This record gives sequence, structure tokens and C-alpha cells, in this order.
Amino acid sequence: MRETPLSNCEREFILKCIAQHKRLDGRSAYDYRDIRIAFGVSLGCCHVELGKTRVLAQVSCEVGQPKQTRPHDGVLFVNVEMSPMACPSFEAGRQSEEGVELSRLMERCLKESRCMDLESLCIVAGEKAWHIRVDIHVLNHEGNILDCASIAAISALAHFRRPDVTVQGEEIRIHSMEDRTPVPLSIHHFPLLVSFTFFSQGKHMLVDPSEKEEKVMEGKMVIGMNKHREICTLQVTGQMLLLKEQVLRCSNIAVTKVTVITELIFQALENDKQARLKGEKHGFAELVSGEKITSNKQPVTDVPVSQAMEESEEDGSSSMDSDSEESESFTQHASEERKVEILAKGVGMIGDGGPSKWIDLTCDDDHAESKKSTKFKPELIELDGESSEEECQVVLDAS
Amino acid sequence: MPLFKTFKITQPKEYYEKFLEKDVRPDNRELGEFRPTVLNIGCVTTAEGSSLVKLGNTSVICGIKAEVAEPASDGKKGYLVPNVELPPLCSTNFKPGPPSELAQVLSQNMVDFLTDSKCVRLEDLCIVPGKLVWSLYIDLVCLDFDGNVMDACTLALMAALRNTLLPVVTVDEDSGEITTDVSIHQKLSISKCPVSTSFIIFDKKILLVDPTSEEEDLATGALTIITEGDNLCSIYKPGGTPLTDTQMKTCIDRAFLRGREAERLIEELIDK
Amino acid sequence: MAAAFIVVRKEDLEAQQNAESCQTLRCLTSELGCLTRSDGSVSFSQGDTTVLAVSYGPAEVRINQEQYDKATVEVVYKPKVGLPRPIDRKREAILKSTLEAAIVTSLHPRSSISIIIQETEDLGSNMACCINAACLALLDAAVHMAFMVAAVAVSVMEDGQIKLDPNKKEELEGRATLTFVFDSADLKVVSVVTSGTFSQEEYKKSIDLTRLAAERVFQFYRDSLSKKLMQSI
Repeated sequence: MRETPLSNCEREFILKCIAQHKRLDGRSAYDYRDIRIAFGVSLGCCHVELGKTRVLAQVSCEVGQPKQTRPHDGVLFVNVEMSPMACPSFEAGRQSEEGVELSRLMERCLKESRCMDLESLCIVAGEKAWHIRVDIHVLNHEGNILDCASIAAISALAHFRRPDVTVQGEEIRIHSMEDRTPVPLSIHHFPLLVSFTFFSQGKHMLVDPSEKEEKVMEGKMVIGMNKHREICTLQVTGQMLLLKEQVLRCSNIAVTKVTVITELIFQALENDKQARLKGEKHGFAELVSGEKITSNKQPVTDVPVSQAMEESEEDGSSSMDSDSEESESFTQHASEERKVEILAKGVGMIGDGGPSKWIDLTCDDDHAESKKSTKFKPELIELDGESSEEECQVVLDAS
Repeated sequence: MPLFKTFKITQPKEYYEKFLEKDVRPDNRELGEFRPTVLNIGCVTTAEGSSLVKLGNTSVICGIKAEVAEPASDGKKGYLVPNVELPPLCSTNFKPGPPSELAQVLSQNMVDFLTDSKCVRLEDLCIVPGKLVWSLYIDLVCLDFDGNVMDACTLALMAALRNTLLPVVTVDEDSGEITTDVSIHQKLSISKCPVSTSFIIFDKKILLVDPTSEEEDLATGALTIITEGDNLCSIYKPGGTPLTDTQMKTCIDRAFLRGREAERLIEELIDK
Repeated sequence: MAAAFIVVRKEDLEAQQNAESCQTLRCLTSELGCLTRSDGSVSFSQGDTTVLAVSYGPAEVRINQEQYDKATVEVVYKPKVGLPRPIDRKREAILKSTLEAAIVTSLHPRSSISIIIQETEDLGSNMACCINAACLALLDAAVHMAFMVAAVAVSVMEDGQIKLDPNKKEELEGRATLTFVFDSADLKVVSVVTSGTFSQEEYKKSIDLTRLAAERVFQFYRDSLSKKLMQSI
């Protein structure tokens, strides 16, 4: 489906608002929308809401060969899926330009920042290593997917546990969950992406742009940073020139934002850990509260088994009488003990209904002949046709 | 063109209705009747196992190639890799290029058919535990697409598996060298014989067994039942017209009859 | 290729086990209109199994998929890990034909109705959960439907015992899993998908049990929608 373009009217209105330091949703220029971080029942599954923007990240692992150039390292693979669920203009199975940019930035943020200790993923040097895969699904596009995705990805990595492995001689044993507690990945620091959008020749700048603001922006700067104030990536796109002061100011804003968000992630991880320890209910299903009018909850319901059994008995007896006729006509043909005809060595045939271009069915089998003759001929049906002209022609044709 | 042919082309549904109200199908079959099933076992000499199935005009050839492979980490299980091809030659509906959606779904159906029925134990494909196993590549190619390819494929698959002969492989323990003795062959041990039976629903009420491709195009629903002895392996009804319990029962009964018939066909051919 | 591990702690699986005794339908939750960009959306869960489903349409259709007499129904299933595999294609095919039967496609010729389903947590009866979520998403988008559909799964255990709405553990331990889809009009069978072997007797028992459970699911649909629509009066 094609995307609905933004009207000129709306575009001008948004720009005018920004010039007056106002935003459509009432935020001030440097405000983030509300962030909600939730974890699933399976480990390494994280769901992040940034305002209405939603991203789901899932981490999984498998044993594979390490890269030849780096035989002592595990492999981290990042995949960003822009599902048509998020926005009607995204197509399933085809990576858009926007999608490519997004996956590249995520890769830079997670892989090239070396936030994860890949060496600890090695099992046997040069032969076996863990491959860690991060799948990021964009579920709802209301602007600033990038920041949301980076929060989801790093939280999921921190939440993930991989099965424990022991190596004895040549034998590699992957322990099941019951056997040994799974081990967390070793993560050095939490790099997060913060995007800044610029309007009117870089005069105005906004943090956490909404979808409409992204449509009218002139350019964008993305800073990847961790809470130790280290910059991991920096990218500027769009047709604009920035002053040194602007870049510095943005990085200062990024510092405060990253500190707050990192704190939030730690808190969410801790909450989830506590809930699991206490054996409380956790996971996505628990997020839905029954209070909103759009949400509904039906508690565990019993289905009376005895009733089901009774009904089945009733059904059984009644169905026997009612459909016996139909089922008989349906199955009678097959119920005759049919012989397997051996046509040649290794070639056999069974059944004789309908035409087949493969074999000559006009065999001298009396049985088959007699059955054929009682059957309906197609031209007889045509006699039911309405006009007499039709009849003549069909009969002629048949003869 | 004869008029009844024009009638058939312009109003295919009405054409079929005329026949079906007399409980017969345009190709002279009754509603519950299969087309003649011809089975040829061992028709491809270069394959380890092979068969050719002709179900009316529909025909499917199946070849099984065996390769030696390394097992997954836990060691004893071999691989079964079925693949269904619908090349352009079998019907005008298919174009060259990557497999169509139907071909992908059929391939997946074959995988499910093998795993659900457990007719081949994957442990039987083990040569040296943890080191070597057989990997059987099962290629099913449709040569003529005239409906009910599912049943033709499963029958061809079962017949080819029964026909499969694997050479004896020995591994020298010291040198680790693999030797294949082609003169001695071993049969694959297969204890079960699952058979599939397909139905379509015509005009939301009439059930037809073994549909031709014309009938499949007119169908408002489809149903495939796989039976194995006295058990059911799979009931697969993807959407379409809802059916009552009695209709389902009728289909299951018919499927069991077909199951016995097809089993006899394979047994008698293997015995000869 | 070795299968990817998604790790679920043992305790979590057991907690699931303890919470649910034999013949119960797990807790159902839904949140309608949870996503903003689509015409209809729902986050639906059965116990801990959760899926997100959205629907678009009737809308513009790609020219090569246009049908002159009815709407084209498209279904996209997004697995949580990796790219769609053949098994997901089959799942899409089942979903598509099930929903095609339910939607009155002849009302919107030359247009498309698309449904996108995202797996978020698979802890048993995923297929049933997908179908129920898709139906709710269509209801949320107010697409014309001939009937609603409800799916319920059962697992047949090794000893022949039948478990309604199985969780992951029961699904893995069971000898067979059967998923039935019923229509809301006459509770007839719209779809059946099974895996593993089972007897006719077990089939009969399962279908009767799931039919009863399906009525609860239909009731849940009605409750969810009436709760949402009540406010606008």
C-alpha cells in the first residue's frame, strides 16, 4: 500500500509551530515521550514502547562456526524487520531504503561499539562458537524507531541467557535448562542511540521526533552513546550544515538522555528479576490490564468434560441413522474388494473410474464395461437444455 | 466447437451441477470414486529408490538419493529432505523461477507427512553414531498436474521409500576412511504405510473425492485425511466451507477404505 | 542447520503447568486498537502465548493480485526469530483460507484485505492463538464477515488423555496436537490442522471438547467488543 503524503498545509503548520517552540503533542523540544520497557516469558524478549512507537526484540542463539578471520570470537548478528504491521507502506520481505539505514545503524551501535564480549562466546577456537542473533521487529511506526529499537535491542541482550556448555576433549555438551542455570552474555556497556532532528537550516532542533515531524525535517543527527559519556557512533544525514557548537550541544543533551534511559533499563531488568524470583506472573499477557475499555480479560475457564462426553454419545447415535444413506453411496464404490492389476514388472494398477491418458481403459474387462454402461452419458444431460436447437446439435455431435 | 464444450467453458459451475445432481461426475466417476491409480516402482535406475504414480492424468515421479552426512550435535538422527517441484511443464499455471507458494506448501506437507506418521525412524539412518548418518534427498517432480497432487505425492513417496536400497558403508576406525560396498544393499526398514485421501467441497455442500484440477478450481473447500492402519495421521482442512461432524465422519470412513486399497497396491507390487 | 534456541526457564514452564489443571481454557486477554497505524489491531493472549494481529482494508490491491469478483485476502505471518520458513508459509496458507471463508469477500471486489500477524510469545497453541487474534483484528476493523471463527487446540498425551488448550510442555510431550476452527453460526468445522497420530475415538472426543471451548471464545469476542463499543453510546 502506498503511503499517504503529508499535505502542504499540515507541513507548513508543523514548521510554524516549531518556529514558535511548540510541538503538536505539547512536549518541549528536548522531551522524550514516555518509555515503557517490558520483558516476555522467554528470556531475551523485550518489548519497548516509546509513546505509541513499538518495537519488539528477541535474542536467540545457536552453535556454529566462527568467522575465519576471527577464530576466537563468537558472532553477533543484527536483523531489523520493518513489518507492514508498523506502517502500511512497509512491505513484507523486502528491505526498504529506510530499513537498510536502520539495520546499518543498529549494527554500528551494537557490533562496532564492542559492547559485548564476543570472545566469551567461543567454545572451541576456530571450530565452534555461539552465534547470537538479535531480531528487531518494528511493530508500530509513530516516529523515532531508531531510539526505540536501540533500547529494545540492548535490553533484550542484557535479559538473555544462553545454555551452558562444557568441553571435554573433543566432546561438546550443551546443557539443558534443567541441567545447569543458563549464563548471561557479558556486556561491557549499554550503547544507546539518540536522534536529533533539525528544521529551517538547523535553526531549530527537536529530540525524539514524532512521525509527522520526521516527514518535515531537514536533516537528522544520530549519536550513539553509553552512560560513561563515550560516543560509539555519530551520523549526520540530510541537506544541512551544522556548526561545531550545535554538535557539542547535541552530545551534551545525549549524555543526560542516555543516563536516564540506562537507569530505566536497569530498573526494568531488576523488576523482571524480582518478579521471577517471587514466582509472580510476568510476561506480555500480564501487561494488559482489564481496566481500559479496549482491553478485556477472561479468567481461566473450566470446560465441563462430562457434558462433552454426553453430547458425543448422543451425536454418535443420531448421526448413525441420519447420514447412513449418504455415506453409503459415498463409500460403496470403494468397498468392493478391488483387485490389483499387475500390468508389467513393477507396474500395478487399481481402480477404474474416470479417464486417463496414460493407459487404455477400453480393456475387455466385462465388469468395468457393465458398470460404464449404467453410468450417465454427458450428452444425455445436455438434452435438458432449453432450446431445441441446442438439443439437435448435441445429439448429432454425440452420434 | 460442440455445444456442451461451450457450456463447460462459459459456465463451468452450472455444467458440473448438471452432472452432480445425478450423482455422477463429468468424467464418469461416482462422487466417492478414485481415478485409476497406476504405480510403477523402481523406474529410475540411478536413484536409490524411485517410483512413478499416475492418478488419472496426474502423475508424479519420485526419486530418492542418499548421501552420507554429518549428524547434528546430538548424533544419531539422519535427515529426510523432501522437496516437491511443480515445473512449468506440468501445467500452464506454473512459471519458471523460484518455487511457487503451492510448491512450498506441498513440500512442507511432505515434511509433516513424514514426521507425523513416523514411517521412517530417523535413528535407522545412522551409520556411525555421532559421526555419519544417511541424508535422504526425496525429490518429487510433478509431470502432469491434473488435480490431487497431494495424494499422488504421498503415494509416490511411500512407494519410493519401500523401494529404497542403501549400500553398506563401513568406517575404518584407525584411519577414519569411509568405504562403500555397492554390492551389498540394505533395505530401509519401514513398518508403516500412511496413505492420504483428498476431498473437495463443491458448491458448499457436495463432497468429491480425488478431484481433478478443474474440480479443484471450482472447489469451495478442501480436505486431506491421512490414515495409517486404523489410526489417523493427519486431518488437514485449511478453511473453506464449514463441514458438519457427519460429513467429516463420511470423509474419514472413505479415507480408511482408500488407505487399505492403496496399501494393498504397494504391498502386492513389492511382493511380486 | 541447528535449530536456534529460544530459552525459556524451567520454572516458567512449570508455573504454567501448575496454574492449569486438566480441562481448562487458559486465561484470555485482548487489547483492541493497540497499534495506531492500522485499521484494526489487537494484542491477544491465551495464557502466556501472545500474538499481535493487525488488519488493513478493504484497500487498494496490487494489480497482479486483483480479482474482479471479490477481495483478495493476504496474510503475512512474522515469526519472532529469523526469516519465514516453509512451515510459516503453510501457516499463512491455513490462515488465509480460514479467513477467506469467514470474510464476505464478494462485497469488496478489486480490493485487498490484508492481515499481518506477529508472533510475540509461543508457549503452546500458537496456531489457535493466531486465528483468534486475526478474527479479533478483523472485528476491530469492522470488516464484513459471514461468521466469526474461533480456534481451540487439544493435545493427545501418550496415555490417550486429552488436554484442552495445551501449553508448550504438553504440546511437546503429547503424541498428537489437533487444532480445530469452528464458525460462530452453526459451530461447524471450518479448519482442522493436526500433527502426530491419533485414533478416531480420540478425534471424536477432541472435536466435542473443543466445540464447547470455542463457545467460550465466541463469548469472549462479544464481551471484548461490547466493552469497547459501549463507551461511544
